[in-house]
Amino acid sequence: MIRIGTKPTFCIVVAMCVLLLGQLGAPVSAEPAKISTPKPTDTNTKTLAPLRERFQSADVTEAPDFQKHVVPLLGRLGCNGRACHGSFQGRGGFQLSLFGYDFKSDHAALHEENCGRVDVDDIDESLILVKPLDADMHDGGKRFDKGSWQHHVLRKWIASGAEFNPNKMHLLEKLEVIPTEISFSKQRETVQLTATAHWQDGTMEDVTQLCRFSTNDESIAAIDELGEVTSGEKGDTHVVVYYDNAVVPIPVLRPIGPKRYAASEATTAIDRLVLEKLDKLGVAPSDVCTDAEFLRRVSLDMTGVLPAADFVREFLADTSPNKRATLVDELLDSPAYAAWWATRMSDWTGNSDAQLNNALPVRGAASRLWHEWLRVRIDQNMPYDQIVQGIVEAKSRQEGESYLEYCEAMTEACQRGNENLFAERDGLPLYWARRNFQKPEDRAIGFAYAFLGVRIECAQCHKHPFDRWSKNDFDKFSKLFTTVRASQNGIGADAKEQRNELIKQVTDGKKLDNGELRRAIYRAAAQGETVPFGELFVVKQRTVNKTLLEKRKKLIAKAKQNGKKVAPLPIPSGHILGESTAVPLSTDPRPALMQWLRSETNPFFAKAIVNRVWANYFGIGIVDPTDDMNMANPPSNTPLLDFLAKQFIHQKFDLKWLHREIVLSATYQRSAEPNETNRHDRVNFARHVPRRLPAEVVYDAVVLATGSDDKASQLRNEVDQMAIAEGLAQNRNKRDFAMEVFGQSIRESNCDCDRSDSPSLLQAIYLRNDADMHRRLSSDDGWVAQACESLGVDAPSNRIDPKKVATLRAANGLRKQILTKVRQFNQIPKVRQANTMPKVQREYQRAKSKFNQFGFDIPPLKKLLTNPNSWQKVELAKQDSEKATMTIDAVIEEAYMRTLSRFPDREETAIATDYIDTSTSKSDAVQSLLWALVNTKEFIITH
Amino acid sequence: MKFHSTCDGVRRRDMLKAGVLTVGGLSLSNYMQMANAGQIQPGRADRAIFIELSGGPSHLDMFDMKPDAPEEIRGAFKPISTNVSGIQISEHLPKLAGCADKYAILRGVSHTLAAHQLGREYVNTGSKPLPSLEYPGYGSVLSKERPSDADIPSQVAIPRAGHGPGFLGIRYAALETNSAPQLGQPYSVRGISLAGGIGVDEVKRRQGLLKKLDRRFAELEKDDQLLEGLDQFGEQAYSMITSSRARDAFDISKEPESFAKQFGEDSFGQSCLLAMRLVESGVRLVSVQLGGWDTHQDNFKKLKTSNLPKLDAGLSGLLIGLEQRGLLDSTAVFVTGEFGRTPKINNRSADGGRDHYPRCMFMLMAGGAVRGGQVIGESDATAAGPLHEGFSPDDVAASFYYNLGIDPTLEYDSNTGRPITLVRNGNVIKSLFV
Repeated sequence: MIRIGTKPTFCIVVAMCVLLLGQLGAPVSAEPAKISTPKPTDTNTKTLAPLRERFQSADVTEAPDFQKHVVPLLGRLGCNGRACHGSFQGRGGFQLSLFGYDFKSDHAALHEENCGRVDVDDIDESLILVKPLDADMHDGGKRFDKGSWQHHVLRKWIASGAEFNPNKMHLLEKLEVIPTEISFSKQRETVQLTATAHWQDGTMEDVTQLCRFSTNDESIAAIDELGEVTSGEKGDTHVVVYYDNAVVPIPVLRPIGPKRYAASEATTAIDRLVLEKLDKLGVAPSDVCTDAEFLRRVSLDMTGVLPAADFVREFLADTSPNKRATLVDELLDSPAYAAWWATRMSDWTGNSDAQLNNALPVRGAASRLWHEWLRVRIDQNMPYDQIVQGIVEAKSRQEGESYLEYCEAMTEACQRGNENLFAERDGLPLYWARRNFQKPEDRAIGFAYAFLGVRIECAQCHKHPFDRWSKNDFDKFSKLFTTVRASQNGIGADAKEQRNELIKQVTDGKKLDNGELRRAIYRAAAQGETVPFGELFVVKQRTVNKTLLEKRKKLIAKAKQNGKKVAPLPIPSGHILGESTAVPLSTDPRPALMQWLRSETNPFFAKAIVNRVWANYFGIGIVDPTDDMNMANPPSNTPLLDFLAKQFIHQKFDLKWLHREIVLSATYQRSAEPNETNRHDRVNFARHVPRRLPAEVVYDAVVLATGSDDKASQLRNEVDQMAIAEGLAQNRNKRDFAMEVFGQSIRESNCDCDRSDSPSLLQAIYLRNDADMHRRLSSDDGWVAQACESLGVDAPSNRIDPKKVATLRAANGLRKQILTKVRQFNQIPKVRQANTMPKVQREYQRAKSKFNQFGFDIPPLKKLLTNPNSWQKVELAKQDSEKATMTIDAVIEEAYMRTLSRFPDREETAIATDYIDTSTSKSDAVQSLLWALVNTKEFIITH
Repeated sequence: MKFHSTCDGVRRRDMLKAGVLTVGGLSLSNYMQMANAGQIQPGRADRAIFIELSGGPSHLDMFDMKPDAPEEIRGAFKPISTNVSGIQISEHLPKLAGCADKYAILRGVSHTLAAHQLGREYVNTGSKPLPSLEYPGYGSVLSKERPSDADIPSQVAIPRAGHGPGFLGIRYAALETNSAPQLGQPYSVRGISLAGGIGVDEVKRRQGLLKKLDRRFAELEKDDQLLEGLDQFGEQAYSMITSSRARDAFDISKEPESFAKQFGEDSFGQSCLLAMRLVESGVRLVSVQLGGWDTHQDNFKKLKTSNLPKLDAGLSGLLIGLEQRGLLDSTAVFVTGEFGRTPKINNRSADGGRDHYPRCMFMLMAGGAVRGGQVIGESDATAAGPLHEGFSPDDVAASFYYNLGIDPTLEYDSNTGRPITLVRNGNVIKSLFV
C-alpha cells in the first residue's frame, strides 16, 4: 500500500522495489555525475556491514543497540514523525520523542506498564512488531514485511531483553558521508549516498539505511528515504543527512551554463567571491544598473528615504566619475541612515512597546528611549560589538550613581524630547526588562535570535532537527540567564530606603494597593516629580529552593553531631551555547558572555550581523532565513560569508565599513534585467531581485511622493517625524493602520519574519482606495495642489514658490548637519583631531558644492571651526511672489521624478498627456496620474 | 525557493515572500490552489459571527441567575421563563427569552485570568496566552482554512478586531470597519467605500491609466512571484472596490426599515444587522464588539438601562434574522465576554457593583450543528464556580471550530517554525450538538 500526501511514504514494499532495480542496473547515463569521493579515513579498521546484511536471517546472534539501531530504525520507518507517534499528543496512546533523540523517554514509552508494546516473554505479541506488520490493525499502515531485516532487528532487540542504559550513551565522533559534493550534468541522474558512523570507541558502521535525509530544494535535487539523490532542474542546493546527533549537508550542483572565468576580473573581494560561485554554476551576472536605478535603490536600502526629484536631477547631471561613492558617503552621513538602522536594529533586539508596557513608570516612553539609544550610537558609528556590549552588560545606574540620582535622571529622560539624555547613558537595561524576556528559557531563545542569528527553540523540547543542539545544551545555556533580574519593581539591595522615601512622596504616605500605586506614580511622573524606577540587578547565586534548604539544614545538624562536615553546595553555573566550560553564577555571567560574543573565534556573532545587513541589500541572506543559521541550512556562498565576517571583525566591527563595502561592489549594483543564465537565480546574487519596500519605507515614500515640495523637504531634513525614524504619532496599544497592513515588525516572537515584505490584499486596497490616500492626494499641502497651481489650474494665489522654500530648508538642514559635525570635532581631544580632519574637510567640501548649487554662501571651514556660531541661518532674499508656471510635460516629468525617481519615456509622457487632455478636470487628472504612479509595481518595489 | 525550517523537520515553503523562485518552483497559482484547499472537514456551518462582550458581563444578572441565593449575591434582577420550559434568564432580556430555542447556554465556564487583556486573548483564541507566542483569532483561522471569494473580504471586524492574526501573519488579518453603522444611515468602510467624491467610473478610468503605465516589469512578471502577487492582489482590490457585491453587503440601508428595526435602533443592533448581511454575502467571519460590561460600579443601573436592552434586541434580532434568511444552519454564532463577575456585590457605589471573576462565567452558542434550547453545564449555588468539572474557554473554542468543520487539534507551524496545536487543551463539548 502506497500512501502519498500527508503521511510519510516510508513503505518498505516500494523501498524493496527500488533496491531491486538498483541491483538490476541503474539508469545508464552517458555522462555520469561527477562526485567527489575522498579516501576512506581509516583503512585499517573494518567498517561494520549495514544492518540489512547483518540481519538477513532470523537466527543472527548479534543484539541490536537501542541508540545506534532501534531508535534510528523507528525514525526511518516513520514511527516518530510528527504525523505519527512523534506528534505532541502521540498517536493511539503511544508517544515517541520527535526524531528520537530522547532515548530515555522513548525507552520508557516502549516499556510502559501493561501497554504490550514490548513483550520480552511473548516476543511476537509485542505491539511494535504486530502493528507495523499489519495494515488493518495499524492506522499508520504496514511498515515492513515479516522476515525482513527490519523485522529481525526489532525482534532481536526484544529477544535480547529490550534494554537501554542511559548512563552508557555512545558518542558519535563523526558521520562520514560519501560523496562529499555532487555535480550533475543533466536531469534524472542519480547518486547514492553512503553514510558511515565513526563512534568514539573506534567502531565504524555503515548506517546509510538508518539515516534521515532531506533536501533544501526539491526542484534541484530530490532525495529519497534510501539516500539516493536524483537531479532535477539546473541550479545548486544541499541535501542533508541526519543520524544520531550529526547533521551533514552535501552540496549538489547542476551548472546552468558552461563554466566561466569572470572572477579574475573582479575589482572587489565581494565580487570575486560571488563570481567564483557564478563561474562554477555557469551563470553570467547582469550588467551594472543605471545611475537612476542606483540612486533610488541605494537611497531606499541604506536610508529608507525616497530621493527628492531635484536630487535625482542633480545626481543624473553630475559627471564626476566617482559620484556613486560620493553619494554613498553622503547617505552614510545623513541623519536618515542612523534613524533607519536604529529601526532595523530595534527589530532584531526586540524593541516592542507592548512587551515594554510597565517596564518604566512613564507610559509609552520605553520604546522611544530604546530607539534613540541605538540611533545615537549608529550615528556616531560606534563599533557594533560596543553597541551590543551596552545591551548585554547593561546596568541601570551609571558608575557611582545613587538610586535617587538614577531615578531623577530617568524621570527627566522620560519626558518627551529628552530622549537624548537616556541615549547618553551607558547601558540599555530595557532589553532585559521586556515581558517576554523574563524566563531563562525565553531569554536563551531571544538572546540566540538577536545576537547569534540562531533559532534554538526547537531544542527546548527535543533535539534540534537541523542542528547539533540537544535539550541538554539548551537547558545549560538558559541557566546562564537565571541570575539577571529586571522588572518594574525590582531594585538593588542598597536602594530600598530611597525607594520607600520616593513612594512616600508620591503617595503622601497613604497606603495604596498595587494598581493604585502604579497610577499614582504615573500621575506624579507626568507632573515631572521624581518617581521610583525599577532597576536591573544580578543576584549572586540562584536562590536554592526551600525544601532543599531545609533538608540541608538537617543534614548539617546531623553531621555536626557526628563531628563531620558537609561538603559545600556546588556553585550553580551555566554554559555558553556549545562551549564546554561552565560559567559560574557566583558573579554576573554577562561579561563572560560578551567576551565570547566578540572573540574572533565566535562562530555566529559577526556572521549574524553581516548576514542581516547583506540581506537588507539583497532581499535574501547568504544564509537564509537570516535568523536561522544551522548545520542543515548552510550559506549559499560560504567563502563570501566567511570573508565578510572576518573582515568585519578585522575592521573592529565598523558598520559603515560594512555598508560601504557591500553597496560599492558590482554585485550590489547589478541591473534587474536578467539574462538567459541568471533569469531564475535568486540565491547567488547574479542580478538585482526586486523586493517590496519595508512597511516604514512604503509609508514614508507615499507621504513624500504625494506631499508638496515644502512638506517633503521638511520631512527629509528633520527625519524625526518619518516612519523610518519611528516618528509616527502612536495611540497606545494601537499601531498605525498602514504600518500594520504593510507588515511592520511586531518584534515579539524572536523571528526576523516578524517583519513581512509580502504583498497582500489589504495593502492593495489601502493604496488604491483608503481615506488616507484620498486625503494625501487632495490635501492643500499635497503635491497635486502644488502642481495645479503651477499649471494655473484652481490656483490659490500668493504662495511663496514651494520649490524655493524646499531649497531653503534643504540648505538649513545641511547647515545644521555640518555644524553638529564641527562641534563634535571641536570636542574631541587635540591629538585625535588630525586623524578626523580629512573627514571633516570632505564633508565640508560636499556641503560647499551643494550650497553653490542652491545659490547660497557658506563661510570658510576655518572660520566655522573657530566660531561655529558665526554661521547664521540661511534666509530667502525678498522676491516678488511671481506665479510659477509649468507645462503639462513638466508636471508629468515631476510626477515621475518624485515617485519612480526617473524621467518618463516618450510613450509614458504621451499616455499621461493624453489622459490629462481628455479629462474634464485637469486637477482630477493630475491627481489620477499621481494615484496611478503610486500604485505601479515600480513604485513599491526596489529596482 | 525559500524555506522556513520547522521544528518538525518539515520545510515549509513560504511562496509569497519576496525572493522565492527557482527553476521549476511552484507557480503562484499552484500555491493559491494549495492554500485554497485548506484543511477542512465537513461540518454544518461554513461561516461565523463572533460577538464579544468586552469588559466581562455579569453572569449572575444575565444567563446564570441564582434567585435563591442571599440578597448580597442574587442582586436586584429577577429571572423570567423563556420559550423553552425549564430555562430561565434575566427579566431584562425578554426578547432573548422569547427565542431561547435558538441558542444554547453554557454555564460554569471557568478560567483563571482576571485581567481584561489576558482574558480577551484567551477567549478570542481558545488558548491561554503565552508571552512568547500569539495565537490567531478565530477569524484568521477561518480565513486560512476557508478562503472567501475574491471580491469579498474573508473577515470583517465591527468596528475593530478583538484579536489579530497572531502567528498566521498579516495576510489573515480582518478588515476593520473602524466605526459602527447607524440605523438607516449610509455606511462607509475604510478601503471599500469610495471616498473623496470619486465615483466608480472615475475609478475605472484611473485603473485604465494605471494599467497602461504599469508596464516596466511586465517582462519579468512571469518569473517573479512578488510581481505576480502584486498584480493579483491589485486586481482583487480593484474588483472589490468596483464590484457592487462588497459595497452592497455593507450598505445596511438596503434593508427594509421594519426588518432593520427588529435588531434594535442602536449601533450594536445595526452592527448585528450588518454582520448578518456580510455572512449572507460570503464573508467567513464577522466579529462584533459590544463593550461597557466592566461594571465595578452601578452594575444594575448600567445593565438595566443600557447593556441588556442593547444585547437583547441585537442578538435576538440576529438569531431570528439568520433563521428567517435560512442562514442559521450554516452560521456558527458564539457570544462571550472575557470573564464573569464576582457573586458578592461590592458597596463602592450606591447601586452596587461586581468585580472581575474568571472562575465562573457564561457563554452562548448557536447556529450550525448546535442544538438550541438547552443549558450545558451548571454552576454552584452562588455561581461562584462550576458545580462539576465545568468547561474551559479551550473546550468552547474547540467546539466552535468543530461546528465550523475545523479540527481543533490541527497543528500549525508558528512563524518561527514551532509546531502549534490550534486549541492546545480543549475538548469538543459533544452535548452542544444535535
